[in-house]
Amino acid sequence: MTEGNLSALLPLVIFMAFMVAISIFVRHKQAEKNFVSNYFIGNRQLGGFVLAMTTVATYSSVSSFVGGPGMAFQVGFGWIYMAVVQVTAIFLVLGIFGKRVALLARKLNAVTVVDIIRARFQSDFLAAVAAFVIVLFFCGTMTAQFVGGAKLFAAVTGYSYEAGLILFGLVVVVYTSIGGFRAVALTDTLCALIMMIGIVLLLHYVLQAGGGYENIMTTLEKNNPELFEPFSFGNMPWTIYFTQWLLVGICTIALPQSVVRGISYKNTAGLHQAMLIGTVVVGFMNIGINFTGILAHGVLTGTAADYGGVDNVIPTTIVRAMPPELVGLAIIGPLAASISTISGLLIVASSAIVKDVYLHYAEKNNHVVTPSRVKFLSMATTALIGGAVFVIALTPPSLIWLINMFAFGGLETAFFWTLLLGLFWKRANKLGAMLSMTGGTIIYCATQAAGFKIFNLHQITIGITCSLILFLIGSYFGKKSDEETLKIFFPTK
Amino acid sequence: MKKFNTDAEKFSLVRREAIYTGLALVGLIIFWLIAGFGTASSEIKIFHLPLWAVLGTVGVWFVAIVISAILSKILFKDVDLGGDDDD
Repeated sequence: MTEGNLSALLPLVIFMAFMVAISIFVRHKQAEKNFVSNYFIGNRQLGGFVLAMTTVATYSSVSSFVGGPGMAFQVGFGWIYMAVVQVTAIFLVLGIFGKRVALLARKLNAVTVVDIIRARFQSDFLAAVAAFVIVLFFCGTMTAQFVGGAKLFAAVTGYSYEAGLILFGLVVVVYTSIGGFRAVALTDTLCALIMMIGIVLLLHYVLQAGGGYENIMTTLEKNNPELFEPFSFGNMPWTIYFTQWLLVGICTIALPQSVVRGISYKNTAGLHQAMLIGTVVVGFMNIGINFTGILAHGVLTGTAADYGGVDNVIPTTIVRAMPPELVGLAIIGPLAASISTISGLLIVASSAIVKDVYLHYAEKNNHVVTPSRVKFLSMATTALIGGAVFVIALTPPSLIWLINMFAFGGLETAFFWTLLLGLFWKRANKLGAMLSMTGGTIIYCATQAAGFKIFNLHQITIGITCSLILFLIGSYFGKKSDEETLKIFFPTK
Repeated sequence: MKKFNTDAEKFSLVRREAIYTGLALVGLIIFWLIAGFGTASSEIKIFHLPLWAVLGTVGVWFVAIVISAILSKILFKDVDLGGDDDD
Protein backbone atom coordinates (compact mmCIF):
# COMPACT_ATOMS: atom_id res chain seq x y z
CA MET A 1 0.00 0.00 0.00
CA THR A 2 2.98 2.30 -0.18
CA GLU A 3 3.23 3.21 -3.86
CA GLY A 4 -0.25 4.80 -4.15
CA ASN A 5 -1.33 8.40 -4.35
CA LEU A 6 -1.98 9.51 -0.75
CA SER A 7 -3.91 12.62 -1.78
CA ALA A 8 -6.28 10.35 -3.71
CA LEU A 9 -6.86 8.27 -0.62
CA LEU A 10 -7.54 10.98 1.94
CA PRO A 11 -10.94 12.27 0.69
CA LEU A 12 -12.21 8.70 0.52
CA VAL A 13 -11.03 7.92 4.06
CA ILE A 14 -12.78 11.06 5.36
CA PHE A 15 -15.94 10.20 3.39
CA MET A 16 -16.08 6.65 4.72
CA ALA A 17 -15.40 7.82 8.29
CA PHE A 18 -18.32 10.22 7.92
CA MET A 19 -20.57 7.38 6.79
CA VAL A 20 -19.69 5.35 9.88
CA ALA A 21 -20.32 8.41 12.07
CA ILE A 22 -23.81 8.83 10.55
CA SER A 23 -24.53 5.19 11.26
CA ILE A 24 -23.43 5.40 14.90
CA PHE A 25 -25.46 8.59 15.35
CA VAL A 26 -28.57 6.94 13.91
CA ARG A 27 -28.17 3.88 16.15
CA HIS A 28 -27.76 6.10 19.19
CA LYS A 29 -30.77 8.31 18.31
CA GLN A 30 -33.14 5.42 17.76
CA ALA A 31 -31.99 3.14 20.54
CA GLU A 32 -35.33 3.17 22.35
CA LYS A 33 -37.67 2.51 19.42
CA ASN A 34 -39.13 -0.74 18.03
CA PHE A 35 -35.95 -2.44 16.86
CA VAL A 36 -37.15 -4.62 13.97
CA SER A 37 -39.28 -1.93 12.34
CA ASN A 38 -36.57 0.63 12.95
CA TYR A 39 -33.63 -1.48 11.79
CA PHE A 40 -35.23 -2.83 8.60
CA ILE A 41 -37.44 0.07 7.42
CA GLY A 42 -36.43 3.07 9.54
CA ASN A 43 -39.79 3.15 11.38
CA ARG A 44 -41.57 4.44 8.25
CA GLN A 45 -40.20 7.90 8.79
CA LEU A 46 -38.55 8.79 5.46
CA GLY A 47 -39.38 12.18 3.96
CA GLY A 48 -39.71 12.86 0.22
CA PHE A 49 -36.16 13.99 -0.46
CA VAL A 50 -34.48 11.11 1.38
CA LEU A 51 -36.93 8.62 -0.17
CA ALA A 52 -36.05 9.86 -3.66
CA MET A 53 -32.32 9.83 -3.03
CA THR A 54 -32.18 6.41 -1.38
CA THR A 55 -34.28 4.86 -4.17
CA VAL A 56 -32.08 6.41 -6.87
CA ALA A 57 -28.81 5.61 -5.08
CA THR A 58 -29.69 1.97 -4.50
CA TYR A 59 -30.83 1.67 -8.11
CA SER A 60 -27.74 3.38 -9.61
CA SER A 61 -24.84 0.99 -9.29
CA VAL A 62 -21.13 1.25 -9.99
CA SER A 63 -21.76 -0.10 -13.50
CA SER A 64 -23.88 3.01 -14.23
CA PHE A 65 -20.73 5.02 -13.52
CA VAL A 66 -18.02 2.83 -15.04
CA GLY A 67 -19.22 0.21 -17.55
CA GLY A 68 -22.11 2.36 -18.88
CA PRO A 69 -20.13 5.49 -19.82
CA GLY A 70 -17.40 3.20 -21.17
CA MET A 71 -19.99 1.77 -23.55
CA ALA A 72 -21.16 5.30 -24.41
CA PHE A 73 -17.53 6.09 -25.33
CA GLN A 74 -17.61 3.15 -27.71
CA VAL A 75 -21.07 3.35 -29.31
CA GLY A 76 -22.05 7.01 -28.84
CA PHE A 77 -25.41 8.72 -28.38
CA GLY A 78 -27.35 5.53 -29.03
CA TRP A 79 -26.13 4.37 -25.63
CA ILE A 80 -27.58 7.45 -23.90
CA TYR A 81 -30.81 7.05 -25.87
CA MET A 82 -30.98 3.50 -24.51
CA ALA A 83 -29.88 4.39 -20.96
CA VAL A 84 -32.40 7.23 -20.64
CA VAL A 85 -35.24 4.68 -20.34
CA GLN A 86 -34.16 4.52 -16.69
CA VAL A 87 -35.93 7.84 -16.09
CA THR A 88 -39.08 5.75 -15.76
CA ALA A 89 -37.71 3.68 -12.88
CA ILE A 90 -38.57 5.98 -9.98
CA PHE A 91 -42.02 7.28 -10.97
CA LEU A 92 -43.07 3.77 -12.00
CA VAL A 93 -42.13 1.96 -8.80
CA LEU A 94 -43.44 4.72 -6.52
CA GLY A 95 -46.51 5.41 -8.68
CA ILE A 96 -47.58 1.79 -9.05
CA PHE A 97 -46.49 0.21 -5.78
CA GLY A 98 -45.68 3.14 -3.47
CA LYS A 99 -49.10 3.74 -1.89
CA ARG A 100 -50.48 0.23 -2.16
CA VAL A 101 -47.48 -1.25 -0.37
CA ALA A 102 -47.57 1.51 2.25
CA LEU A 103 -51.26 0.95 2.99
CA LEU A 104 -50.84 -2.82 3.17
CA ALA A 105 -47.70 -2.65 5.31
CA ARG A 106 -49.55 -0.59 7.90
CA LYS A 107 -52.57 -2.90 7.84
CA LEU A 108 -50.50 -6.04 8.10
CA ASN A 109 -47.74 -4.57 10.24
CA ALA A 110 -45.37 -5.73 7.50
CA VAL A 111 -41.72 -4.80 7.53
CA THR A 112 -40.56 -6.51 4.34
CA VAL A 113 -41.82 -7.21 0.82
CA VAL A 114 -41.80 -10.92 1.72
CA ASP A 115 -44.19 -10.18 4.61
CA ILE A 116 -46.65 -8.80 2.07
CA ILE A 117 -46.18 -11.74 -0.32
CA ARG A 118 -46.72 -14.18 2.57
CA ALA A 119 -49.93 -12.42 3.59
CA ARG A 120 -51.28 -12.14 0.04
CA PHE A 121 -50.71 -15.78 -0.92
CA GLN A 122 -50.93 -17.33 2.56
CA SER A 123 -47.86 -19.42 1.95
CA ASP A 124 -44.79 -19.88 4.11
CA PHE A 125 -43.18 -21.90 1.34
CA LEU A 126 -43.54 -19.06 -1.16
CA ALA A 127 -42.19 -16.62 1.42
CA ALA A 128 -39.18 -18.86 2.02
CA VAL A 129 -38.54 -19.14 -1.73
CA ALA A 130 -38.82 -15.35 -2.06
CA ALA A 131 -36.34 -14.84 0.81
CA PHE A 132 -33.96 -17.36 -0.77
CA VAL A 133 -34.17 -15.70 -4.21
CA ILE A 134 -33.50 -12.32 -2.62
CA VAL A 135 -30.43 -13.49 -0.71
CA LEU A 136 -29.05 -15.46 -3.68
CA PHE A 137 -29.36 -12.76 -6.33
CA PHE A 138 -28.47 -9.93 -3.96
CA CYS A 139 -25.20 -11.68 -3.14
CA GLY A 140 -24.43 -11.78 -6.87
CA THR A 141 -25.20 -8.08 -7.27
CA MET A 142 -23.25 -7.12 -4.16
CA THR A 143 -20.20 -9.08 -5.32
CA ALA A 144 -20.31 -7.19 -8.62
CA GLN A 145 -20.44 -3.89 -6.71
CA PHE A 146 -17.53 -4.84 -4.46
CA VAL A 147 -15.37 -5.98 -7.37
CA GLY A 148 -16.27 -3.04 -9.62
CA GLY A 149 -15.59 -0.50 -6.89
CA ALA A 150 -12.31 -2.07 -5.78
CA LYS A 151 -11.02 -2.34 -9.36
CA LEU A 152 -11.83 1.30 -9.97
CA PHE A 153 -10.12 2.23 -6.70
CA ALA A 154 -6.96 0.32 -7.65
CA ALA A 155 -6.85 1.78 -11.18
CA VAL A 156 -7.25 5.38 -10.05
CA THR A 157 -5.33 5.58 -6.75
CA GLY A 158 -2.46 3.17 -7.42
CA TYR A 159 -3.21 1.26 -4.21
CA SER A 160 -4.00 -2.44 -4.31
CA TYR A 161 -7.39 -3.98 -5.11
CA GLU A 162 -7.47 -5.52 -1.62
CA ALA A 163 -6.79 -2.15 0.02
CA GLY A 164 -9.79 -0.71 -1.83
CA LEU A 165 -11.96 -3.61 -0.85
CA ILE A 166 -11.08 -3.17 2.81
CA LEU A 167 -11.40 0.61 2.76
CA PHE A 168 -14.82 0.95 1.18
CA GLY A 169 -16.13 -2.64 1.19
CA LEU A 170 -15.59 -3.49 4.81
CA VAL A 171 -16.69 -0.04 5.95
CA VAL A 172 -20.03 -0.27 4.14
CA VAL A 173 -20.69 -3.61 5.84
CA VAL A 174 -19.84 -2.06 9.23
CA TYR A 175 -22.02 1.02 8.87
CA THR A 176 -24.98 -0.91 7.47
CA SER A 177 -24.75 -3.47 10.28
CA ILE A 178 -24.68 -0.76 12.94
CA GLY A 179 -27.21 1.72 11.61
CA GLY A 180 -29.74 -0.39 9.69
CA PHE A 181 -32.19 1.04 7.14
CA ARG A 182 -32.29 4.59 8.48
CA ALA A 183 -28.51 4.86 8.23
CA VAL A 184 -28.67 3.31 4.76
CA ALA A 185 -31.23 5.92 3.66
CA LEU A 186 -29.22 8.85 5.04
CA THR A 187 -25.88 7.64 3.69
CA ASP A 188 -27.57 6.88 0.33
CA THR A 189 -28.76 10.48 0.21
CA LEU A 190 -25.22 11.68 0.78
CA CYS A 191 -23.95 9.21 -1.84
CA ALA A 192 -26.47 10.45 -4.43
CA LEU A 193 -25.40 14.06 -3.84
CA ILE A 194 -21.74 13.08 -4.10
CA MET A 195 -22.45 11.16 -7.33
CA MET A 196 -23.96 14.29 -8.88
CA ILE A 197 -21.05 16.48 -7.75
CA GLY A 198 -18.63 13.85 -9.11
CA ILE A 199 -20.32 13.92 -12.52
CA VAL A 200 -20.19 17.73 -12.73
CA LEU A 201 -16.55 17.74 -11.64
CA LEU A 202 -15.50 15.09 -14.15
CA LEU A 203 -17.48 16.73 -16.97
CA HIS A 204 -15.78 20.05 -16.25
CA TYR A 205 -12.26 18.61 -16.36
CA VAL A 206 -12.96 16.41 -19.40
CA LEU A 207 -14.15 19.47 -21.32
CA GLN A 208 -11.09 21.41 -20.18
CA ALA A 209 -8.63 18.62 -21.04
CA GLY A 210 -10.26 18.09 -24.44
CA GLY A 211 -9.98 21.75 -25.45
CA GLY A 212 -13.64 22.63 -24.91
CA TYR A 213 -17.01 21.29 -26.12
CA GLU A 214 -16.73 22.85 -29.60
CA ASN A 215 -13.35 21.28 -30.22
CA ILE A 216 -14.28 17.79 -28.97
CA MET A 217 -17.54 17.65 -30.91
CA THR A 218 -16.01 18.92 -34.18
CA THR A 219 -13.32 16.24 -33.97
CA LEU A 220 -15.89 13.55 -33.14
CA GLU A 221 -18.15 14.54 -36.06
CA LYS A 222 -15.17 14.18 -38.40
CA ASN A 223 -13.55 11.03 -36.98
CA ASN A 224 -16.37 9.05 -35.31
CA PRO A 225 -19.59 9.42 -37.34
CA GLU A 226 -20.91 6.14 -35.88
CA LEU A 227 -21.35 7.89 -32.50
CA PHE A 228 -24.07 10.09 -34.03
CA GLU A 229 -26.21 7.29 -35.43
CA PRO A 230 -28.84 5.52 -33.24
CA PHE A 231 -27.74 2.03 -34.32
CA SER A 232 -24.08 3.08 -34.22
CA PHE A 233 -23.39 1.37 -37.57
CA GLY A 234 -24.51 -1.98 -36.14
CA ASN A 235 -23.02 -1.66 -32.65
CA MET A 236 -26.45 -0.91 -31.10
CA PRO A 237 -28.95 -3.41 -32.54
CA TRP A 238 -32.68 -3.00 -31.81
CA THR A 239 -32.51 -6.04 -29.53
CA ILE A 240 -30.44 -4.06 -27.01
CA TYR A 241 -33.00 -1.25 -26.98
CA PHE A 242 -35.86 -3.68 -26.49
CA THR A 243 -34.12 -5.68 -23.78
CA GLN A 244 -33.04 -2.60 -21.87
CA TRP A 245 -36.59 -1.29 -21.73
CA LEU A 246 -37.45 -4.47 -19.86
CA LEU A 247 -34.28 -4.99 -17.85
CA VAL A 248 -33.51 -1.49 -16.58
CA GLY A 249 -36.86 0.18 -17.26
CA ILE A 250 -40.25 -1.46 -16.84
CA CYS A 251 -39.35 -4.59 -14.86
CA THR A 252 -37.29 -2.70 -12.28
CA ILE A 253 -40.56 -1.75 -10.57
CA ALA A 254 -40.61 -5.19 -8.96
CA LEU A 255 -37.08 -5.17 -7.57
CA PRO A 256 -37.54 -5.91 -3.85
CA GLN A 257 -34.92 -3.30 -2.91
CA SER A 258 -37.04 -0.65 -4.66
CA VAL A 259 -40.48 -1.88 -3.55
CA VAL A 260 -39.40 -1.97 0.12
CA ARG A 261 -38.98 1.80 -0.07
CA GLY A 262 -42.76 1.93 -0.36
CA ILE A 263 -42.96 0.61 3.19
CA SER A 264 -40.47 3.11 4.54
CA TYR A 265 -41.87 6.59 3.88
CA LYS A 266 -43.85 8.74 6.24
CA ASN A 267 -46.76 10.16 4.24
CA THR A 268 -48.09 10.47 0.70
CA ALA A 269 -46.93 14.08 0.32
CA GLY A 270 -43.38 12.71 0.67
CA LEU A 271 -44.08 10.00 -1.90
CA HIS A 272 -45.33 12.55 -4.45
CA GLN A 273 -42.30 14.71 -3.86
CA ALA A 274 -39.97 11.70 -4.24
CA MET A 275 -41.47 10.76 -7.63
CA LEU A 276 -40.56 14.15 -9.04
CA ILE A 277 -37.15 14.54 -7.37
CA GLY A 278 -36.18 10.95 -8.21
CA THR A 279 -37.01 11.41 -11.91
CA VAL A 280 -34.98 14.64 -12.08
CA VAL A 281 -31.99 13.04 -10.34
CA VAL A 282 -31.95 9.72 -12.19
CA GLY A 283 -32.11 11.53 -15.57
CA PHE A 284 -29.37 13.95 -14.59
CA MET A 285 -27.08 11.11 -13.53
CA ASN A 286 -27.76 8.92 -16.56
CA ILE A 287 -27.39 11.60 -19.19
CA GLY A 288 -24.58 13.38 -17.35
CA ILE A 289 -22.24 10.43 -16.85
CA ASN A 290 -22.88 8.82 -20.25
CA PHE A 291 -22.42 12.13 -22.09
CA THR A 292 -19.14 12.52 -20.16
CA GLY A 293 -18.20 9.05 -21.43
CA ILE A 294 -18.63 10.23 -25.04
CA LEU A 295 -16.78 13.49 -24.41
CA ALA A 296 -13.90 11.44 -22.97
CA HIS A 297 -12.81 11.07 -26.61
CA GLY A 298 -11.31 14.51 -26.09
CA VAL A 299 -9.00 13.02 -23.47
CA LEU A 300 -8.48 9.48 -24.77
CA THR A 301 -7.58 9.39 -28.45
CA GLY A 302 -7.54 5.61 -28.93
CA THR A 303 -10.32 3.05 -28.91
CA ALA A 304 -11.72 1.50 -25.69
CA ALA A 305 -9.63 -1.63 -26.38
CA ASP A 306 -6.45 0.48 -26.30
CA TYR A 307 -7.16 1.22 -22.63
CA GLY A 308 -8.01 -2.38 -21.69
CA GLY A 309 -11.73 -2.36 -22.54
CA VAL A 310 -14.81 -0.24 -21.81
CA ASP A 311 -14.49 -0.68 -18.04
CA ASN A 312 -11.18 1.18 -18.07
CA VAL A 313 -12.40 4.23 -19.99
CA ILE A 314 -13.68 6.22 -16.99
CA PRO A 315 -10.81 5.30 -14.59
CA THR A 316 -8.26 6.29 -17.25
CA THR A 317 -10.17 9.49 -18.01
CA ILE A 318 -10.22 10.42 -14.32
CA VAL A 319 -6.45 9.92 -14.04
CA ARG A 320 -5.65 11.83 -17.24
CA ALA A 321 -8.16 14.68 -17.04
CA MET A 322 -8.29 15.54 -13.34
CA PRO A 323 -5.60 17.35 -11.38
CA PRO A 324 -3.90 14.79 -9.05
CA GLU A 325 -5.20 16.57 -5.94
CA LEU A 326 -8.81 16.15 -7.12
CA VAL A 327 -8.60 12.52 -8.21
CA GLY A 328 -9.60 11.43 -4.71
CA LEU A 329 -12.77 13.51 -4.90
CA ALA A 330 -13.66 12.26 -8.38
CA ILE A 331 -13.42 8.62 -7.36
CA ILE A 332 -15.87 9.10 -4.48
CA GLY A 333 -18.75 9.52 -6.98
CA PRO A 334 -18.54 6.05 -8.57
CA LEU A 335 -17.62 4.46 -5.24
CA ALA A 336 -20.65 6.13 -3.67
CA ALA A 337 -22.76 4.44 -6.37
CA SER A 338 -21.22 1.15 -5.39
CA ILE A 339 -21.57 1.44 -1.61
CA SER A 340 -25.11 2.82 -1.73
CA THR A 341 -26.21 -0.19 -3.78
CA ILE A 342 -24.41 -2.60 -1.43
CA SER A 343 -25.93 -1.07 1.71
CA GLY A 344 -29.45 -1.07 0.21
CA LEU A 345 -29.21 -4.72 -0.78
CA LEU A 346 -27.47 -5.80 2.39
CA ILE A 347 -30.21 -4.58 4.70
CA VAL A 348 -32.95 -6.23 2.60
CA ALA A 349 -30.99 -9.51 2.41
CA SER A 350 -30.53 -9.41 6.18
CA SER A 351 -34.25 -8.76 6.73
CA ALA A 352 -35.04 -11.76 4.47
CA ILE A 353 -33.13 -14.06 6.81
CA VAL A 354 -33.90 -12.54 10.22
CA LYS A 355 -37.44 -11.25 9.77
CA ASP A 356 -38.85 -13.42 6.98
CA VAL A 357 -37.37 -16.72 8.04
CA TYR A 358 -36.06 -16.76 11.62
CA LEU A 359 -38.55 -14.50 13.42
CA HIS A 360 -41.50 -15.87 11.48
CA TYR A 361 -40.72 -19.46 12.44
CA ALA A 362 -39.95 -18.50 16.01
CA GLU A 363 -43.34 -16.80 16.28
CA LYS A 364 -45.11 -19.70 14.61
CA ASN A 365 -43.57 -22.18 17.04
CA ASN A 366 -44.21 -19.90 20.04
CA HIS A 367 -40.52 -19.38 20.73
CA VAL A 368 -39.94 -16.18 22.61
CA VAL A 369 -37.12 -14.12 21.11
CA THR A 370 -35.88 -11.40 23.43
CA PRO A 371 -35.39 -7.88 22.01
CA SER A 372 -31.67 -8.03 22.75
CA ARG A 373 -31.38 -11.31 20.82
CA VAL A 374 -33.26 -9.83 17.84
CA LYS A 375 -30.92 -6.87 17.91
CA PHE A 376 -27.83 -9.06 18.07
CA LEU A 377 -29.07 -11.42 15.35
CA SER A 378 -30.05 -8.60 12.99
CA MET A 379 -26.70 -6.86 13.25
CA ALA A 380 -24.75 -10.12 13.14
CA THR A 381 -26.65 -11.39 10.08
CA THR A 382 -26.06 -8.13 8.21
CA ALA A 383 -22.36 -8.34 9.08
CA LEU A 384 -22.18 -12.03 8.13
CA ILE A 385 -23.78 -11.63 4.69
CA GLY A 386 -21.60 -8.59 4.00
CA GLY A 387 -18.53 -10.48 5.25
CA ALA A 388 -19.30 -13.49 3.03
CA VAL A 389 -19.66 -11.31 -0.07
CA PHE A 390 -16.46 -9.48 0.90
CA VAL A 391 -14.58 -12.81 0.99
CA ILE A 392 -15.97 -13.84 -2.43
CA ALA A 393 -14.87 -10.48 -3.82
CA LEU A 394 -11.29 -11.03 -2.57
CA THR A 395 -10.87 -13.52 -5.40
CA PRO A 396 -13.07 -11.83 -7.99
CA PRO A 397 -14.99 -14.08 -10.36
CA SER A 398 -14.62 -13.24 -14.04
CA LEU A 399 -17.42 -11.67 -16.14
CA ILE A 400 -18.55 -9.66 -13.16
CA TRP A 401 -20.85 -7.31 -15.12
CA LEU A 402 -22.68 -10.26 -16.56
CA ILE A 403 -23.27 -11.57 -13.03
CA ASN A 404 -24.77 -8.18 -12.14
CA MET A 405 -27.16 -8.24 -15.10
CA PHE A 406 -27.95 -11.91 -14.48
CA ALA A 407 -28.99 -11.11 -10.90
CA PHE A 408 -31.10 -8.13 -12.03
CA GLY A 409 -33.00 -10.31 -14.51
CA GLY A 410 -33.43 -13.11 -11.97
CA LEU A 411 -35.01 -10.80 -9.38
CA GLU A 412 -37.32 -9.28 -11.98
CA THR A 413 -38.41 -12.69 -13.25
CA ALA A 414 -39.14 -13.87 -9.70
CA PHE A 415 -40.98 -10.81 -8.42
CA PHE A 416 -42.52 -8.90 -11.35
CA TRP A 417 -45.76 -10.83 -11.83
CA THR A 418 -45.95 -12.02 -8.23
CA LEU A 419 -46.08 -8.41 -7.03
CA LEU A 420 -47.90 -6.76 -9.93
CA LEU A 421 -50.65 -9.34 -10.35
CA GLY A 422 -50.65 -10.28 -6.67
CA LEU A 423 -51.39 -6.71 -5.58
CA PHE A 424 -53.70 -5.67 -8.41
CA TRP A 425 -55.54 -8.82 -9.53
CA LYS A 426 -58.03 -10.55 -7.25
CA ARG A 427 -57.83 -13.78 -9.19
CA ALA A 428 -54.08 -14.12 -8.54
CA ASN A 429 -53.54 -17.04 -6.20
CA LYS A 430 -50.94 -19.12 -4.38
CA LEU A 431 -50.44 -21.70 -7.15
CA GLY A 432 -49.95 -18.99 -9.77
CA ALA A 433 -47.41 -17.13 -7.65
CA MET A 434 -45.59 -20.31 -6.72
CA LEU A 435 -45.33 -21.53 -10.34
CA SER A 436 -44.36 -18.08 -11.56
CA MET A 437 -41.65 -17.44 -8.99
CA THR A 438 -40.05 -20.89 -8.90
CA GLY A 439 -40.69 -21.97 -12.51
CA GLY A 440 -39.86 -18.58 -14.04
CA THR A 441 -36.64 -18.25 -12.06
CA ILE A 442 -35.51 -21.81 -12.88
CA ILE A 443 -36.25 -21.32 -16.60
CA TYR A 444 -34.42 -17.98 -16.54
CA CYS A 445 -31.36 -19.49 -14.84
CA ALA A 446 -31.37 -22.53 -17.15
CA THR A 447 -31.51 -20.41 -20.32
CA GLN A 448 -28.70 -18.24 -18.93
CA ALA A 449 -26.59 -21.31 -18.14
CA ALA A 450 -27.24 -22.81 -21.58
CA GLY A 451 -26.72 -19.49 -23.35
CA PHE A 452 -30.11 -20.01 -25.02
CA LYS A 453 -31.66 -16.89 -26.56
CA ILE A 454 -34.64 -16.10 -28.78
CA PHE A 455 -34.00 -13.48 -31.51
CA ASN A 456 -30.71 -12.83 -29.68
CA LEU A 457 -32.65 -11.08 -26.87
CA HIS A 458 -31.46 -11.17 -23.24
CA GLN A 459 -32.94 -14.11 -21.29
CA ILE A 460 -35.10 -11.72 -19.23
CA THR A 461 -37.56 -11.84 -22.14
CA ILE A 462 -37.86 -15.62 -21.76
CA GLY A 463 -37.95 -15.46 -17.95
CA ILE A 464 -40.61 -12.75 -17.75
CA THR A 465 -42.79 -14.40 -20.44
CA CYS A 466 -42.60 -17.86 -18.86
CA SER A 467 -43.30 -16.51 -15.38
CA LEU A 468 -46.42 -14.73 -16.73
CA ILE A 469 -47.70 -17.85 -18.49
CA LEU A 470 -47.09 -19.95 -15.37
CA PHE A 471 -48.80 -17.35 -13.20
CA LEU A 472 -51.90 -17.35 -15.41
CA ILE A 473 -52.05 -21.16 -15.60
CA GLY A 474 -51.73 -21.44 -11.81
CA SER A 475 -54.30 -18.73 -11.18
CA TYR A 476 -56.91 -20.28 -13.46
CA PHE A 477 -56.41 -23.85 -12.29
CA GLY A 478 -55.52 -23.27 -8.63
CA LYS A 479 -57.75 -22.55 -5.66
CA LYS A 480 -58.91 -18.96 -5.28
CA SER A 481 -57.53 -16.86 -2.43
CA ASP A 482 -59.75 -16.95 0.67
CA GLU A 483 -62.26 -14.18 1.35
CA GLU A 484 -60.42 -12.90 4.43
CA THR A 485 -57.27 -12.28 2.42
CA LEU A 486 -59.16 -10.64 -0.43
CA LYS A 487 -60.90 -8.32 2.05
CA ILE A 488 -57.51 -7.06 3.19
CA PHE A 489 -55.95 -6.69 -0.26
CA PHE A 490 -59.06 -5.62 -2.19
CA PRO A 491 -61.46 -4.00 0.29
CA THR A 492 -64.87 -3.21 -1.11
CA LYS A 493 -66.44 -1.23 1.71
CA MET B 1 -60.19 18.51 -1.07
CA LYS B 2 -61.81 15.10 -1.13
CA LYS B 3 -61.15 12.91 1.90
CA PHE B 4 -60.57 9.22 1.47
CA ASN B 5 -61.89 7.70 4.67
CA THR B 6 -62.58 4.05 4.04
CA ASP B 7 -60.16 1.35 2.92
CA ALA B 8 -62.28 0.76 -0.17
CA GLU B 9 -61.96 4.42 -1.20
CA LYS B 10 -58.24 4.45 -0.56
CA PHE B 11 -57.56 1.22 -2.47
CA SER B 12 -59.74 2.32 -5.35
CA LEU B 13 -57.81 5.60 -5.55
CA VAL B 14 -54.50 3.75 -5.42
CA ARG B 15 -55.64 1.45 -8.23
CA ARG B 16 -56.63 4.46 -10.34
CA GLU B 17 -53.27 6.11 -9.70
CA ALA B 18 -51.44 2.93 -10.73
CA ILE B 19 -53.41 2.95 -14.00
CA TYR B 20 -52.48 6.61 -14.58
CA THR B 21 -48.84 5.64 -14.02
CA GLY B 22 -49.11 2.77 -16.50
CA LEU B 23 -50.68 5.09 -19.09
CA ALA B 24 -47.91 7.62 -18.45
CA LEU B 25 -45.39 4.88 -19.20
CA VAL B 26 -47.11 4.06 -22.50
CA GLY B 27 -47.07 7.77 -23.38
CA LEU B 28 -43.39 8.06 -22.58
CA ILE B 29 -42.52 4.98 -24.65
CA ILE B 30 -44.35 6.47 -27.64
CA PHE B 31 -42.55 9.80 -27.16
CA TRP B 32 -39.21 7.97 -26.84
CA LEU B 33 -39.81 6.14 -30.12
CA ILE B 34 -40.84 9.27 -32.04
CA ALA B 35 -38.23 11.54 -30.46
CA GLY B 36 -35.32 9.20 -31.21
CA PHE B 37 -35.91 6.76 -34.07
CA GLY B 38 -38.64 8.98 -35.52
CA THR B 39 -36.31 11.93 -36.09
CA ALA B 40 -33.12 9.98 -36.86
CA SER B 41 -33.17 10.94 -40.55
CA SER B 42 -33.42 14.68 -39.82
CA GLU B 43 -30.40 16.83 -40.78
CA ILE B 44 -31.09 19.37 -38.03
CA LYS B 45 -28.33 19.80 -35.47
CA ILE B 46 -28.44 21.46 -32.07
CA PHE B 47 -25.10 22.23 -30.39
CA HIS B 48 -23.37 19.78 -32.77
CA LEU B 49 -25.85 17.04 -31.84
CA PRO B 50 -28.31 15.49 -34.29
CA LEU B 51 -31.94 16.22 -33.48
CA TRP B 52 -32.67 12.59 -32.50
CA ALA B 53 -29.82 12.62 -29.95
CA VAL B 54 -31.25 15.72 -28.26
CA LEU B 55 -34.94 14.78 -28.30
CA GLY B 56 -34.24 11.12 -27.53
CA THR B 57 -32.15 11.88 -24.44
CA VAL B 58 -32.68 15.29 -22.83
CA GLY B 59 -36.13 15.50 -24.47
CA VAL B 60 -37.21 12.18 -22.97
CA TRP B 61 -35.88 13.25 -19.59
CA PHE B 62 -37.86 16.52 -19.68
CA VAL B 63 -41.02 14.73 -20.72
CA ALA B 64 -40.50 12.24 -17.86
CA ILE B 65 -40.18 15.16 -15.44
CA VAL B 66 -43.38 16.73 -16.80
CA ILE B 67 -45.15 13.36 -16.50
CA SER B 68 -43.94 12.93 -12.91
CA ALA B 69 -45.10 16.45 -12.09
CA ILE B 70 -48.57 15.85 -13.60
CA LEU B 71 -48.89 12.55 -11.78
CA SER B 72 -47.65 13.71 -8.41
CA LYS B 73 -49.10 17.23 -8.32
CA ILE B 74 -52.38 16.87 -10.22
CA LEU B 75 -53.56 13.28 -10.55
CA PHE B 76 -52.28 11.77 -7.30
CA LYS B 77 -54.14 12.59 -4.10
CA ASP B 78 -53.02 12.64 -0.50
CA VAL B 79 -54.39 9.87 1.65
CA ASP B 80 -54.00 8.98 5.28
CA LEU B 81 -52.00 5.77 5.21
CA GLY B 82 -53.27 4.69 8.60
CA GLY B 83 -51.14 3.27 11.40
CA ASP B 84 -49.91 5.17 14.40
CA ASP B 85 -46.73 6.37 12.69
CA ASP B 86 -48.45 8.39 10.03
CA ASP B 87 -48.88 12.13 10.30
